[in-house]
Amino acid sequence: MFEQRDKTENRPGTIIMKFTFAPESRPLDGYTIKRAVHRGGFGEVYYALSDAGKEVALKLLNNNLDVELRGVSQCLNLKHPNLVTIFDIRTDADNDHWVIMEFVSGRGLYETLQDYPNGMPVQEIKTWLAGITAGLSFLHDRGIVHRDLKPANVFRDHGGVKVGDVGLSKYISESRRSAQTQSVGTVYYMAPEVAKGRYGLEVDVYAMGVMLFEMLTGNVPFDGQTTAEILMKHLTADPDLSVLPTNLRPVLESALEKDPDKRTHSVEELERQFCNAIAASDASAPVTLVGKSARRASIDSANAGRPAPQAEVEDAQPASSETVSPAPVMGVATMAAFWNSLPMPLQWVLGGATALLVIESGMIRPVAVGGMFGGVAYLGYQLIKSFVGEMNPPQLTAGRSFEAQKFTAQQQAAAGTGAEQDRRKASMAATYVPQLENSVGSRRAANRMAARVYTPATLRKISKSQRSADMLTSITVSLAASALVTVAVFYTTALLKDASQATYFGAITMLAAWGLIIPSKLWEGRRGDSLTRRICLGTVGLGIGFLAAVLPEYLLIDGDGLFKGVGHQVVQVGRISVADGSGYPTAACFIMFFAALFVCRRWWWQADSFRKSRFRVSTALFTLIVGVIVTGMLQDFGFPDALGATWALAISAVVQLSAGWTPAEDRRLEPAPELTQQQQPSATERAPTLA
Amino acid sequence: MNNTTLQQDSLHRRNPGFCKTRVPFRNTNRESQKVSTSQCHKFMLWIDGVGAWQLCVGDSFIVGAPSFEQQSADIALLANVSRHHATLRRMGEEWRLEAHHKTSVSGKEVADSTVLHSGDEIRLAERVRLGFRIPSVLSTSAVIDFESDHRPSHSVDGIILLADHCLLGPRRDHHVYCSRWPELVVIYFQGGQLRCRSKMPLTVDGAAIRDSAVLKHGSVVMADDLRFRVEQME
Repeated sequence: MFEQRDKTENRPGTIIMKFTFAPESRPLDGYTIKRAVHRGGFGEVYYALSDAGKEVALKLLNNNLDVELRGVSQCLNLKHPNLVTIFDIRTDADNDHWVIMEFVSGRGLYETLQDYPNGMPVQEIKTWLAGITAGLSFLHDRGIVHRDLKPANVFRDHGGVKVGDVGLSKYISESRRSAQTQSVGTVYYMAPEVAKGRYGLEVDVYAMGVMLFEMLTGNVPFDGQTTAEILMKHLTADPDLSVLPTNLRPVLESALEKDPDKRTHSVEELERQFCNAIAASDASAPVTLVGKSARRASIDSANAGRPAPQAEVEDAQPASSETVSPAPVMGVATMAAFWNSLPMPLQWVLGGATALLVIESGMIRPVAVGGMFGGVAYLGYQLIKSFVGEMNPPQLTAGRSFEAQKFTAQQQAAAGTGAEQDRRKASMAATYVPQLENSVGSRRAANRMAARVYTPATLRKISKSQRSADMLTSITVSLAASALVTVAVFYTTALLKDASQATYFGAITMLAAWGLIIPSKLWEGRRGDSLTRRICLGTVGLGIGFLAAVLPEYLLIDGDGLFKGVGHQVVQVGRISVADGSGYPTAACFIMFFAALFVCRRWWWQADSFRKSRFRVSTALFTLIVGVIVTGMLQDFGFPDALGATWALAISAVVQLSAGWTPAEDRRLEPAPELTQQQQPSATERAPTLA
Repeated sequence: MNNTTLQQDSLHRRNPGFCKTRVPFRNTNRESQKVSTSQCHKFMLWIDGVGAWQLCVGDSFIVGAPSFEQQSADIALLANVSRHHATLRRMGEEWRLEAHHKTSVSGKEVADSTVLHSGDEIRLAERVRLGFRIPSVLSTSAVIDFESDHRPSHSVDGIILLADHCLLGPRRDHHVYCSRWPELVVIYFQGGQLRCRSKMPLTVDGAAIRDSAVLKHGSVVMADDLRFRVEQME
């Protein structure tokens, strides 16, 4: 989407770099051109040095521009820290006009937007917006309308935001001849009334609304293949505000109002509304995301007269999480929020009851059928998303939890600064935590928040010794955990008939847990895409399935009750017998079951040290449902449904119980997370690639 | 034509920013005696549409404040730091930082010297922050980014410490990210000369190059979609 737009239009810089003047040329006396900067609004821009060494930007105005020099002098003496200063306008020997202005060295808003194809962090938006507003309201206060506000005209220099091309557009207008060839880049931000020749300051409000929309979502509200199409949309189409968080919709709706008289009346008003909406969403966000205690905490801290630092951590979430994948995530998030709002003991009771009901009552079949549809739809969605992700790198790691998506998307987008952001957020969380230590409830909220800041998707450096120690401990604990889980299964269900069956069940559960924990611990803190990891785990699943199939023969287990399935189909694929009609599962069945179970869950999240809590009932339950669906699919081949479902639950329980976990308050990032140096090949590998 | 260019160059050389940064070295100061001499060649790359990059060729590079009396730092920052604040030294595949004054790397104060890893933040004195990264796995060359707003007196977007190759191209892991270039250009130092090559048909000072070409002071490298000028900082 983003790339397509980039190619089809004429935005500055996408034009092939052919410039009129060569480096070291001196079109104006006293200035030496060092390099071309870009092709901007009215013409080419060069970086030049005066003879004394002062750096300036020289803008060569296109030949077909009518320059009304008399009026320009009004804008030449405007001074404001948020406006790019114009030093002079000069005419060269060929009668071309040059604008000499302050050189702004930082990155423009246009480039910054490219770094965030799914929308910028709210804190960043606030900074840009505040700077633009200050500059524009200074202009508006002097009766000057910018008229050409767009991301390519907004820069950031040493932390300050600067608006360029100030006031020039009124005096420098393109001649009628070139009206049709107006660059598309400008049209995206053009208010509808411009078509009627009306240029009030509402024009700038509208342009700022468009930019705000673009900063929030990564896309302009009105896009099209041609200039005419975009202009028509400005005049007639309503912007799609559904991609925005609810609080922000009225703000943008008013700023993008077609009728200039009904539009937000000033840029300050727009900024104020935006900040209020963000503040309001800070207060309401914890209700859905963390629970009541955090809300109370945030009110407490607000009452204490301090701008809640939590707000800064929180506010990036509604915007970006909703923009990444709007529809399906919301349902899951609401359900998750409901589940999290239940007290812990109730979660356990409800979870245990559901598990027993599903396994014991013979409801597996209906649950499986229902779940199968949901599962297939969900897998399809995941698959499509991962393929879309392949083409669109910022979404490469298509995780399930929306927080994970947000983190990975940000990390991908911000490339090098991803970990930096994490650290920044974490330090905010850290400053937030001590403030809340006065009550137990709010401490829990603070921990939950820290857990949200550090997720398994957080890239971090883990030393080899630390990693292997963690792995070794996890494996040792898993011995006890699988014994415990097996005993629990033995006594609560009628699945396991005798000690030999229990031993078999426990052994396979433990091996499966090892097969999941070891790769997960190897991946911990590292970057990797979901699909590859799932395929790896699937391969491990094949092996576990094989062991599960052959072990009964070695252990001489009486598999009667345990393995007896219901299906009596005979299915032969090539020379492999998938179902032999005996009612007992074949080796192929076992292999398929474990491979599918390992592929369908994001097991490395269950084993990661930075998972939300050591043991989450909901995670285990969800794994149970996946297990039910998988066995449901294999049921006709004679695969015992109760055994499969119980296995899924048991493996999830053992993995969660035994895999090393860091409590939220102890989570720290090492100073230098591995980012660019991750897979540095040895010297021998380097040489040939360059040849 | 050529004459006027030369004239412009000499005019330009008057600019203290990148012309007087190099003054013959006199080892009179006690402080500088413990600092090894820098034998570094410095170039500026003025890249159209991208920015200005300083290319340093050598094995060790002095970081400090600009100086006009003695040998100036290779990375001369307008900052409240010592003139020889630290030295960046390459030893084979490894980069080391030798601290002569208060310096910390990624939060840890450096007593004597330390190994630098890609992604490290170098902090000189209290407030000067530099980023150190090795963007490409194909090369040991490092890039210094300005993280605080302390910069050299002339406009530079970053400094490349050339070890073997410097890659200018369209990918983030190239030393200079030139987002709109179709193909990468490799700059390297061989036999005391700076050279460049690319898969693209390039011209250097108007002459098409076959394999690689020498880049001299004032060389302009061009292809269909790109242009940059090399300037020696002497």
